[in-house]
Amino acid sequence: MTGIALHHYLALSAILFTIGVVGVLTRRNAIIVFMCVELMLNSVNLSLVAFSAYLGNPTGQILVFFVMTVAAAEAAVGLAIIIALFRNKQTVNIDEINIMKW
Amino acid sequence: MLTEFGRVFIFLIIGAIFVAGGLITAWLVRPHRWYPGKLTSYECGEEPVGDSWVRFNIRFYVVALIFLIFDVEIVFLFPWAVVYQKLGLYAFIEMMIFLAILLVGYAYVWGKGDLDWDKPTPHIPVIKKQKPVEQAYAEEVTV
Amino acid sequence: MLEQIVHSVKLLQPETALAVTFCVLLVLDLVVRRKSNLAAWLALLGLVVTAFFVLQQASSGQNSIFFNMLAVDSFSVFFKFVILASSFLIILFSLQSDELNSGTRRLGEYYSLIIALTLGMFLMTGASNLLMMYLSIELTSISSYILAGYTKEAEDSSEASLKYVIYGAVSSGMMLYGISMLYGLTGAVDIYGINRALTEGDINLMALMIASILMVAGFGYKISAVPFHFWTPDVYEGAPITITAFLSVASKAAGFAMMMRFFKVSFLDPTVGNLAMGAWASFQGFEWNQLLAAISVLTMTLGNLVAIWQNNLKRLLAYSSIAHAGYMLMGVVVLSNEGLAAVLIYFVVYLFMNLGAFYTVMIVANKTGSEDIEAYKGLGYRTPLIGVAMTIFLLSLTGIPPTAGFVGKLYLFAALINGKWFWLVVIGALNSVVSLYYYVRILRNMFLKTPERSAEPIQFSFAHVTILLVLLIPTILLGVYFGPLVEYAQASLVMFGIQ
Repeated sequence: MTGIALHHYLALSAILFTIGVVGVLTRRNAIIVFMCVELMLNSVNLSLVAFSAYLGNPTGQILVFFVMTVAAAEAAVGLAIIIALFRNKQTVNIDEINIMKW
Repeated sequence: MLTEFGRVFIFLIIGAIFVAGGLITAWLVRPHRWYPGKLTSYECGEEPVGDSWVRFNIRFYVVALIFLIFDVEIVFLFPWAVVYQKLGLYAFIEMMIFLAILLVGYAYVWGKGDLDWDKPTPHIPVIKKQKPVEQAYAEEVTV
Repeated sequence: MLEQIVHSVKLLQPETALAVTFCVLLVLDLVVRRKSNLAAWLALLGLVVTAFFVLQQASSGQNSIFFNMLAVDSFSVFFKFVILASSFLIILFSLQSDELNSGTRRLGEYYSLIIALTLGMFLMTGASNLLMMYLSIELTSISSYILAGYTKEAEDSSEASLKYVIYGAVSSGMMLYGISMLYGLTGAVDIYGINRALTEGDINLMALMIASILMVAGFGYKISAVPFHFWTPDVYEGAPITITAFLSVASKAAGFAMMMRFFKVSFLDPTVGNLAMGAWASFQGFEWNQLLAAISVLTMTLGNLVAIWQNNLKRLLAYSSIAHAGYMLMGVVVLSNEGLAAVLIYFVVYLFMNLGAFYTVMIVANKTGSEDIEAYKGLGYRTPLIGVAMTIFLLSLTGIPPTAGFVGKLYLFAALINGKWFWLVVIGALNSVVSLYYYVRILRNMFLKTPERSAEPIQFSFAHVTILLVLLIPTILLGVYFGPLVEYAQASLVMFGIQ
């Protein structure tokens, strides 16, 4: 009987992280980009918890608490900035946010 | 001999079969008679009004943001409460400092008026008196 | 446990002072409803109190507080002084900036965020735990996201802010992934524990390499090294000029401090006698310094080459600051005491010359409303004081003797030559030549082009002249009399955990 071992969690976390990165790079809607960033952070949380359980050391779970809080703060600031930008430009499409180049 | 994953996999397969089986059987058994009224989306017996992809009022965003920030703080309070008995006075003081800083933030949000749910002023439509056609026409020409 | 905490709280006084100032400023912003400069003066007072506590720390020796969360040692104290000096100057700049003070905007929030940013950078200089590194980077970043978009009615400001948030969030996410891998590999989160695990146990080299590269992504974003620099020009151009100046000096200093501490302490192999070699020795089979050298070359070359084409002075200085990050990375490549001392010296010099250049741009922008290079036509004749000051700052940024910039570069190159990095020295020197071209372009506009007929001389007050002199005198003085600075930098290399 083989259980769900550490490497399964790590593989899942790596896959989620990659999906997040690809999403950030390819999506055009600022809000969806933020959702992808959240996905990246949550995949890290998964691997931290998995390591923590594997090592029998609770530090990893404490890290997760802090990551969750920081992610919430970052999302709040990000959304507030998107609202400010939307009031100026009436769009959240990243392709149209291009006053400055090179 | 099944692994743990094998059992999960069997659950998945059976679940898929249940869903697909139900849908396919229904599709085979039911009569196929379409008319326009049947194809509209159901909305409490009413004709649907407008698109479901409407933009929400920005006030929801602000409240959601504030909720998000204060909600997450529970993450720190909960473990603290669980081991509080072991830690004693020091942990109490530390958490009070943490809460005091949070309280400053809360007071700030409140003071800045971001918690006021300003009710939209009711817009009562005023029906203008119908002008005689000739008069309206004359006004338009002069303008 | 309680003793450790009591001991730690005593050594946390500067950070506590900053946190209290932050809260006071927030409350003040609620209570005082009219527009006033009270917040700025209170913030300055808070910084003075903090400076007093940091001075006390300077004599308290090497300590690690809160169970290896933060290190309070000579190294962090040095960077705290650099950061304090720049935030003090930035608040003075902000008092005079028309861009910020125009209209009915109240600046209470602005000053409190500057204090929060300073607090974040203080924590970055001492962070000796992966959790603390992540938290302090985020505290710094989140405050600077808001500050970059502070003039939110300006379109480019909120655009800059959005780009900053997206790049920042992605790179801190990558760094966090690296942190989780390091934690999984070593089972430790403080850099001393990581060092122990790296030197004792056998660790999967491949995984360790990936983890460290991901960590470099986080540091690289903070110091705007090349593959992670994309946010820099846009944010520097769009943000209010005071914030641009602040980010280009202080935030970079904090990033460098954290990066140097992380590399030095966690990769140090204590069994090797020579620390310069031993610092990278924990990675057998992978040349870390080669990777950093490559990043450094890319950073300075790209920064200098792209700067040539810029017409907006703020953007030009942004690329120049990328190039300067490249120069300073050369010192990190060596990682010997000499190399690190050179970086420390460079930061003090860079503080004065870069803030000076930004301050001049601000004065001109206040008057002409433009940051374009065209606005500088004939400035040397219209307003000689500003023209001459700008000239000295730019020459110093190029590294021409007898300005302070020369001394900074001299020590960097000397450290590299002693470390046998001759090719890197050649590339660094070539880059300085390239940079001369675009700095001289500004000088040519100021002195060789005739001003527009309508251009008036720029009026400035006593306060302007004072601040300009405060920045100008060290820029010249450190170029000729640099003994004390060098000695202080060399004495400040002591990090907790390294003998």
